[in-house]
Amino acid sequence: MGTLTRRALLGSVGAVALGGLAYGGSRIGCTFVPRNHPDFFSLLDVVPDDAVARRIGRNALTLASISDNLPALSASLTEQPLIRQAIEESCPTARMNLVQDQCALDFAEMKTVVVDGWVLSETEASLCAARVLGSASA
Amino acid sequence: MISDLRSGSAPAELTGDVCVVGTGPAGITLALELSKKGRSVVLLEGGGASYEADSQSLYRGSVIGHDNIDVANSRLRQFGGTSGHWTGMCAPLDPLDFEPRTDVAHHGWPITREDLNPFYARAQSYLDLGPFKYDFADWQAMLPGKALPLDPAKVFTDIYQQSPPTRFAEKFDEAIKTDPRIDCWLHANLTDIVLKDGSDAVQRVVVSTLDGRRTSVKAKTFVVACGGIENARILLNCRNQRPAGIGNQNDLVGRYYTDHMTIETSTILFNEGVDTAIYPEEIDVEGARLAIGLKVNPDLVKQLHLNNNSAFLVAQYDKDVYNDDFRNYGWIGFTTMVKTFSRGHLPDRFAEHYCDVIDDFGAVATGVYRHAVRKVAPPSRAAAFKLRQDAEQSPNPDSRVTLIADKDPLGFNRVALDWRVTSEDLLKLRRTHEVIGAAIGAAGLGRMQLGISETPDLEMAFSAYHHMGTTRMHADPKQGVVDADCRVHSVSNLYMAGSSTFTTGGCANPTLTVTTLAIRLADHLAVAV
Ligand SMILES: Cc1cc2nc3c(=O)[nH]c(=O)nc-3n(C[C@H](O)[C@H](O)[C@H](O)COP(=O)(O)OP(=O)(O)OC[C@H]3O[C@@H](n4cnc5c(N)ncnc54)[C@H](O)[C@@H]3O)c2cc1C
Repeated sequence: MGTLTRRALLGSVGAVALGGLAYGGSRIGCTFVPRNHPDFFSLLDVVPDDAVARRIGRNALTLASISDNLPALSASLTEQPLIRQAIEESCPTARMNLVQDQCALDFAEMKTVVVDGWVLSETEASLCAARVLGSASA
Repeated sequence: MISDLRSGSAPAELTGDVCVVGTGPAGITLALELSKKGRSVVLLEGGGASYEADSQSLYRGSVIGHDNIDVANSRLRQFGGTSGHWTGMCAPLDPLDFEPRTDVAHHGWPITREDLNPFYARAQSYLDLGPFKYDFADWQAMLPGKALPLDPAKVFTDIYQQSPPTRFAEKFDEAIKTDPRIDCWLHANLTDIVLKDGSDAVQRVVVSTLDGRRTSVKAKTFVVACGGIENARILLNCRNQRPAGIGNQNDLVGRYYTDHMTIETSTILFNEGVDTAIYPEEIDVEGARLAIGLKVNPDLVKQLHLNNNSAFLVAQYDKDVYNDDFRNYGWIGFTTMVKTFSRGHLPDRFAEHYCDVIDDFGAVATGVYRHAVRKVAPPSRAAAFKLRQDAEQSPNPDSRVTLIADKDPLGFNRVALDWRVTSEDLLKLRRTHEVIGAAIGAAGLGRMQLGISETPDLEMAFSAYHHMGTTRMHADPKQGVVDADCRVHSVSNLYMAGSSTFTTGGCANPTLTVTTLAIRLADHLAVAV
């Protein structure tokens, strides 16, 4: 086992400092770089984490029209234009509004499912289902 | 003039231009309209001036189908007919109700809504209604709130009018007594329709009191206006010359019985701040009292193969004191008595109302208490709304009135009512609610929970006591008992009046259309006779 020399110590501290500097600088720099990293899972935050939503999610998963495979479900959700926009949206209020608009659009197109007797839009039922699948796999 | 056959003063034969049997809304309207046109009318009423138990018992029969219905007490056999019972909700049938539909078997009248419009307009005043206006736009400006902002291509706001309700016996008693052209006889029960030998025309009808006094009536034309069940019963019972019953050569009399399915189910939760003010309560505006509901657009009804429906919102409160579940016969009896006493009269059928109150004393006490509390602390926002409706059924030839062996004291066989309520009818209503739920969701107003499951519980459907369809109107004698003029296809001078002639029931309460058809028939007969 070698001994810790002063040079090695200074070198490591310098490397860490440089690394930190580079990382910090990059973080700052990167905030100015436009990127497109849709995050489906952050969208699930619009679904309340309560017993009702979980129950709807579980029951929605028993419907033939809602996939019980998370990647497939998220793919079908992200096919909808307003959901795609919502995923890209960082402001929570704007994101919630987009999801609600997509639900209204579903209703207008009669894309509805009945869960526990509730007439729900396919989107809201799918989001509840995705949340259940997401927490099961977490 | 009104006379009593029991008095023994009747001649052996009564005569007039037209003989009208029955003094409910159909018969009285018809008689008054014919008289206005200068025709003489013999108007026959089987019951007395008011309720009599022995007359009423002629209506007893059996219920052999869906049993949330009654044949004995839901109709009144007395002067004024069942208008002594009715609650007064009125609306015209919709254009859609008259259309033949490829997706609904046996649907469609030989006349259109447009044909009836001028008669609807004249019928309004008989029932003490406002002007003949049933579009939301006609009333909008007078209402204390706005319609829900729903897509009208899906669901729109619908208007009904509320009659006081008009009791024909009270309202028209004097007019009939003083009308020189109307010869009205009480306790005159039709017991036979006699055809001229070798012809297809009625020569006379035989009438009898319960104590055996008889006479007969000769007229150029005869109209049977005895209500949706009794019209069929009379034709089926007149078998002396037509073994299957008059007008029944195609086995259609009594078939296609339809009713409105009274159902309160499915719940809407509106978002905070949604203005629902105009929906749950009846609203008095100048000249009319309105009830406001939600209806699916007729194009969508056809596209989705639904039946017609108007749904009214019934507010549900977390606190029981604001709910109306105490409303039953006891409460109706109590409020009727209070209203009539406050006008300084003794109520009609006082003993009946009084006993209803005694039987339901708990509910009446609850009602009085809740009304008192509401005066002090009116309800705030309703927690939810249920949908109440008189929903349409698809025409069904197996739903029917037939005769049973048991006879009444006048020798007429009593009826069995085999009312069919099908899962299909309820599933169509479920789908209708889904459409309303989706429209509410699309407008961002809230969500709906359906109350009808995919395997519906038929017990949720109650009769609205709207007896319809048993002598239905159709241009083809093989598909209907009466023609477009309400004449029995196979008899040249016999007509039927009332909801038995309805080819479809739609979702509008029937009495406005009953009255309308009576006015139309009077115009027709005034020319023909
Ligand atoms: C509880 C209840 C609530 C209702 N609410 C509403 C409502 O809100 N809106 C609505 O539109 N409708 C309502 N109705 C229905 C309404 O009462 C009828 O549509 C209406 O009374 C039908 O009128 P009609 O003249 O055809 O028959 P009826 O009113 O039944 O009159 C028939 C007449 O014929 C007489 N008669 C019967 N047999 C004979 C015979 N053999 N000889 C001589 N006379 C005879 C009877 O005594 C009676 O006078 C309600 C009914 C009930 C029971």
